[in-house]
Amino acid sequence: MDSSLAAEQQRILASDWGGGKSPFGTSWSKFMMWIFIISDALTFAGFLIAYGFMRSISPAWPKQTEIFNMVLITFMTFALISSSAVMAMAVGAARASNPKLAFRFLVLTIIGGFIFLGCQAYEWTHFIEEGARPWTNPWMPAVPQFTAAFFVITGFHGFHVFSGVTILAVVAIRAAMGKYSGDQVENAGLYWHFVDVVWVFVFAFFYLL
Amino acid sequence: MAHDTHAISYKTYGLTWFWLLVLTGLALGLGYAPIPERIKALLLVCTTLAKVLVIAAIFMHLRYERINLILITFTPLILAIIFFSFTFPETMGSASHVIQVR
Repeated sequence: MDSSLAAEQQRILASDWGGGKSPFGTSWSKFMMWIFIISDALTFAGFLIAYGFMRSISPAWPKQTEIFNMVLITFMTFALISSSAVMAMAVGAARASNPKLAFRFLVLTIIGGFIFLGCQAYEWTHFIEEGARPWTNPWMPAVPQFTAAFFVITGFHGFHVFSGVTILAVVAIRAAMGKYSGDQVENAGLYWHFVDVVWVFVFAFFYLL
Repeated sequence: MAHDTHAISYKTYGLTWFWLLVLTGLALGLGYAPIPERIKALLLVCTTLAKVLVIAAIFMHLRYERINLILITFTPLILAIIFFSFTFPETMGSASHVIQVR
């Protein structure tokens, strides 16, 4: 074998990318969670960009702060941010090999998720009762795209919250049984924080702007 | 691994939570502020990005990860901004006929 080729092979094998190492300094499962988060972030980016585009080409748009119950929306934001903070503490407790504390924090996180989902169900119910549909709404100026964007964006996000609560429930049960790893709790936490990040965008650009 | 060597205290998480609530209050105030829409949009983008960076850095521990993981996380967002930049000028011209107000 050519000596320069052998040297190059040796260099690659010794590098981070030569196999047997973790180039990103993290576990496989955590890295896959990051890849999922990036792809899901692009999905939401698509939704929000489409919303921004529709809004820009619309001659008028209903005033959201007068239509939505902003006290409720702010409370939902508070619930999600608080649950995110508690989730970060759950990850800390899991990393410190304290399953009891991790379980308690996970339960608090799940409660925060349920509060958010309950508020969203209440908001949707009232919105639909007032005549909002994905193809029409009673508010002036009557732009159908307003409610279409509302149902798609908040619905997709709500589905993510529901999925997150389900995932956290599984992780919490495993933590209670002592069958958990710090990686599992951290991956569930990454997903939950991502759901929080998406809501930060929705809160600012859909409800306030 | 990065997360094994950087334990963040509960106090830090509590402080982060507090500042996130402050930024949320600020964003809410901006939503009702009687200021031009463009300035409101700019300020809301700033507060939103501040919140996202705080969540990603502290809650998601991104500040303690390797630089290549941080870069791979933010690169698609730059692409999303480029995508938005390409589509948004469409709305500035004659496209206002696309959506009719009844």
